[in-house]
Amino acid sequence: MSFEPKLLGFLCNWCSYAGADLAGVSRIQYPPNMRVIRVMCSGRVDPKFLIQALELGIDGVYVMGCHIGDCHYLEGNYEALRKFDMTKKLLSFVGLDNRIRLDWVSASEGVRFGEVVSKFVEDIRALGPSPLSRDNPDQELLKKVKAINMAAGTKRLRALVGRQRKITEEENVYGEKVPEEEFNELLDTALKEEYDRQRILLALARDSKSVKDLAVELSLEPSLVLEHMLTLKGRSQVDFQEIIGNTPLFMRI
Amino acid sequence: MDIPSKSALIIGGGIAGIQAALDLADMGIQVNMVEKKPCIGGRMAQLDKTFPTNDCSICILAPKLSECYRHHNITLYSYSEVQKVEGSAGNFSAEILKRARFIKEDACINCGLCAEKCPMRVDDEFDRELRKRRAVYMYYLQGVPSVMTIDKEKCLWFTKNACRICEKTCERDAIDFDQQDETIKINNIGSIIVATGYNLIEDINKEVLKNYGYGKFRNVLTALEFERLESASGPQGGHIKRFSDNETPKKIAFLQCIGSRSDRVEKYCSSICCMYTTKEAMIAYEHDNELENYVFYIDMRAGGKGFQSFLKRGENEYNIKYIKSKIAQITIDEKENPIIVYENLDTGEVKQIQVDLVVLATCIVPPQGIDKLAEVLGIELNDYHFIKTPPFISVETSKNGIFTCGCVHEPMDIPRSVAEASGAAARAAEVIRGG
Amino acid sequence: MSEEEKKEENVRVGIFVCHCGSNIGGLIDCHKLAEESKELPFVAHAEDNLYTCSETGLAAIKKAIEEHNLNRVVVASCTPRTHEPLFRECISEAGLNPYLFNFVNIRDQCTWVHMKHAQEAYDKAKDLIKMGAAKAVKLEPLEMIMVNITPAAMVIGGGVAGMSAALSLSRQGFKTYLVEKEDKLGGRLNSLYKLFPYDIDASEFIGNIISNVQNAKNLEILTSSQVINIEGFVGNFEVEVEHNGTINTFEIGAIIVAVGSSILDPTGLFGYDGNKRITQFELESKLKNNKINQKDIIMIQCVGSRIEERPYCSSVCCMTALKNALNIKDQNPEAHITILFRDLYTPGTEYEEYYRKAREQGVLFVKYDPEKMPVIEETQVKVFNEYINTEMTIPYDLLVLSTPLVANDDNKELAQMLKVPLEANKFFLEAHVKLRPNDFATDGVYIGGSAKWPVDITESISQGYAAASRASTILSHDTIEVEGATSCLPEYNKSLCTGCEVCVKVCPFNAIIKNEDDEIEIIEALCKGCGVCAATCTNQALVIRHFTDDQIMSEIFAYGGE
Repeated sequence: MSFEPKLLGFLCNWCSYAGADLAGVSRIQYPPNMRVIRVMCSGRVDPKFLIQALELGIDGVYVMGCHIGDCHYLEGNYEALRKFDMTKKLLSFVGLDNRIRLDWVSASEGVRFGEVVSKFVEDIRALGPSPLSRDNPDQELLKKVKAINMAAGTKRLRALVGRQRKITEEENVYGEKVPEEEFNELLDTALKEEYDRQRILLALARDSKSVKDLAVELSLEPSLVLEHMLTLKGRSQVDFQEIIGNTPLFMRI
Repeated sequence: MDIPSKSALIIGGGIAGIQAALDLADMGIQVNMVEKKPCIGGRMAQLDKTFPTNDCSICILAPKLSECYRHHNITLYSYSEVQKVEGSAGNFSAEILKRARFIKEDACINCGLCAEKCPMRVDDEFDRELRKRRAVYMYYLQGVPSVMTIDKEKCLWFTKNACRICEKTCERDAIDFDQQDETIKINNIGSIIVATGYNLIEDINKEVLKNYGYGKFRNVLTALEFERLESASGPQGGHIKRFSDNETPKKIAFLQCIGSRSDRVEKYCSSICCMYTTKEAMIAYEHDNELENYVFYIDMRAGGKGFQSFLKRGENEYNIKYIKSKIAQITIDEKENPIIVYENLDTGEVKQIQVDLVVLATCIVPPQGIDKLAEVLGIELNDYHFIKTPPFISVETSKNGIFTCGCVHEPMDIPRSVAEASGAAARAAEVIRGG
Repeated sequence: MSEEEKKEENVRVGIFVCHCGSNIGGLIDCHKLAEESKELPFVAHAEDNLYTCSETGLAAIKKAIEEHNLNRVVVASCTPRTHEPLFRECISEAGLNPYLFNFVNIRDQCTWVHMKHAQEAYDKAKDLIKMGAAKAVKLEPLEMIMVNITPAAMVIGGGVAGMSAALSLSRQGFKTYLVEKEDKLGGRLNSLYKLFPYDIDASEFIGNIISNVQNAKNLEILTSSQVINIEGFVGNFEVEVEHNGTINTFEIGAIIVAVGSSILDPTGLFGYDGNKRITQFELESKLKNNKINQKDIIMIQCVGSRIEERPYCSSVCCMTALKNALNIKDQNPEAHITILFRDLYTPGTEYEEYYRKAREQGVLFVKYDPEKMPVIEETQVKVFNEYINTEMTIPYDLLVLSTPLVANDDNKELAQMLKVPLEANKFFLEAHVKLRPNDFATDGVYIGGSAKWPVDITESISQGYAAASRASTILSHDTIEVEGATSCLPEYNKSLCTGCEVCVKVCPFNAIIKNEDDEIEIIEALCKGCGVCAATCTNQALVIRHFTDDQIMSEIFAYGGE
């Protein structure tokens, strides 16, 4: 039997959900793999929702909103786009980024709704089951996805993405506008850093470890781990526990 | 503020009528809304997108439709017409003919089972007769009220005393062949707003279009037909194909001022064609990035907010070429490709171009039945049979207490129709509140 | 709410599975669905109905609420977009808070679209019900929010749009304040001669309106006055107005912006000198006071508009040029008038007739190409006419430049006070170009006339009325009810708020502010419940009611499995 993907969709109430209803009224037939969660606006979709769904072994998650310019709440879909892009970047660290998708589907696009869902089912089927699927989840990967989930909840990343449009589209008080590329570089660095830091925190969940141990365990440069340790210590998330020989051991607070 | 005892009567359930109704209802005034068609929504419901933002038309309209239907201050009479109006400002009464749709509105759930079984195939008016519907039908899929209607003219039971399959199919016993037209009398109307919109020249006179090959050549369409073809819920699911050979057109010519600004047909400018043509060309291009668009125009009329930049975008990003010109002749070649002969009004040259499809921006005309309605209401029409309005006050008519908005008094775009609708509502509220 | 708290509250969910005749029941076994859903957590009752939306079905819900002591209701049937209001009302009649209802769509998005896959459709319906029930468990009762309304309006700007708005509001019975910066009402019309297309004297026309305004009941005119500060929100604004050095504060329910537009300074354009080369506006005042004796007159359209710096069409200049040309012809039939234009903008019925009239009266129209701009010399204009492929030389003794209306310089200050946006050309930006042309995204603030975009007098007046209508929808009520599913910063989350203000920035409706105590506060009256703030909140402190993280996560977990 061929693999049947287990998919989840977040649909905005005003356009995409209406488009899905129109597909129904028009009796457009599409594969039954996707379950829908209705939200008022695609901008409501917190990155954590997508990551959580993947963490649970769901094979793919779709976010759909009004076409740009059509948002019932004026600009919610712009926010959705920013949040989605960040989520995609985070998930690219573990190769799961091709399991989420964002699309704009209007209330008149019943046929298209059927088409894009069919395409998603096909694409995910081609990818095969999620390595985190319930039967036999890849435990190493699961840890990484948990770190991604935590990273998406950090103030730093949320603030960056929340301010992104203001920073890149409007001038600041000094009349400066940060170019999109420059912002993206900034964001990319932040994403990687926060992801690594959350991995460190997860690795310290049970027992305290040295920088060297962590570097080996997480395949990171020891100097980088040390840098992160200092930041995390600054945030009061880790502390020295003891020093064995010359090696300090860190623990999670 | 006290709740007024007088209500408002709104004639026409297009976007203008809807806006006027919602404003008045939100002020706490009772509204009676009369719509001739089985569902409200009007022309805007037929549009795929709206310029200059290219919003999906039904996406932004649908919430207003259901708000109108559900509003506790609005009584909707769909499939109905105003037959008689008496009285004066502050105290009108009206008689409304509510036509039998042979469907129990409170029982029908618009599941469509009846239409599936109905054996009759009828030209679909909403889709400009580009596809067939059944004799029992939904006016359009997202229509409000969301109930079916039986087309008495076409139904086998009414024409041949046979069939009634729909009745057997319906699980809700919603079919009622005994339903009769009703006349409903409404008293205590403080004010009336006329918002019955417009027709297009082809609705009343197809002759005018013959000079442009319409009706003779299969690859010549009107703009509203083209709009339906572009619509994702239209007859071609949004993928435009020529009717002659089912091929995707690669070159489309849009001809402006068909019947408008003309000595022989209508003198006036239809106001919206330059913009909707640009929009239609853009959408066509979005479907197919190899498309070449040609717009043959006299003057570009783009004065509204964001319109000039819309044209610029059309030119720069959507491969639209605007040619100031006068059309001399349209013929076809052996593959039914239209050939247009035109005089370039910038250069004076006479040129010829072969295209795959021609789209005619046809003239807006007063809505059918306006003469009778004007008589019923006792209001004057202008020379073109649009509703006559006094200088500078475009929401007033020749009669106190009767207001107007939208294309029924002059061709205009949606924002202006909506603004006027609110404007008419304010004036109607003054009368109703005795100000 | 934790599991424990739920148990304490004794959450009891009732599930109603609708057959919708054969629309659902024809494909999947609704009875079995109902039976199986009895096993879900906190479900106290489940049943299937032929039509849950019928009177029988609604009665069954009410009966079950009573018999089984239900406090959450889930209906699995068609779509919330059409039927949620009906079921909310039903459970409300049975004494439950309407927000304790959840809808599961198993028709439009299930049986109708998987008609050839009965088993898969069944499984999907089952999952959807499971998810819906999980969210239902987490639902909380919400109250509609009531906002008191001060039944008074303020119209800013005493031109034709503002006066029309003020007149309509006062006639509807609302106390109305009309604020005008200048010492007299009338605005731009005070400087015009005749009005197109009717040959009516501007002064006479505006005079009539001004006297109507002066005689109106409920209408207070504040000339030489300026709005200097605005606080508050819909129904409850406090507006400070300065007049001759004194500041008065007004309590206002709704505000209308009708500040009009300005005239472009033509210095440096086409040899403008204010004497032989003047603007249409200057020509108007000349026409008002004297006869125009010049013989050869050239008018140039789109001077300073439809160019890169100012890409828009000012929409009134073509008609103004035609009007002034006809007025000159009227005074002096011998005058030669040439209008150099790009596209003649005379839309609609009467304007097109007016254009024809001008042609019939012998006004000459010559199109110019913006790539080859007309060259102005001391007594003649050289313009390339592509049609005859030659450069024409046209003599003039009066050159008239049709300059556009531009946004007022002080729009920005007013916009900041009102927290409303401007567009690229600094005109005010409405809430929605198509369907909310006279609203701002911020409730209780409205716009009309050429403050939004250059418009003629007819449109200024209808937009003035339109703004009045929109304001009236608020002012007509002592209180207005606002949807309860808004954003909030719950007491128990206050300590999480870092005060970063990102939420303030992402809210498109200005519903989130930092208050005097330096705390984030949601003005529920303005919140539309989109939930962007909750998805953005940097420390996940904000909660969007009815679509909380907890509720959505419960749906995700119900599907993904624990």
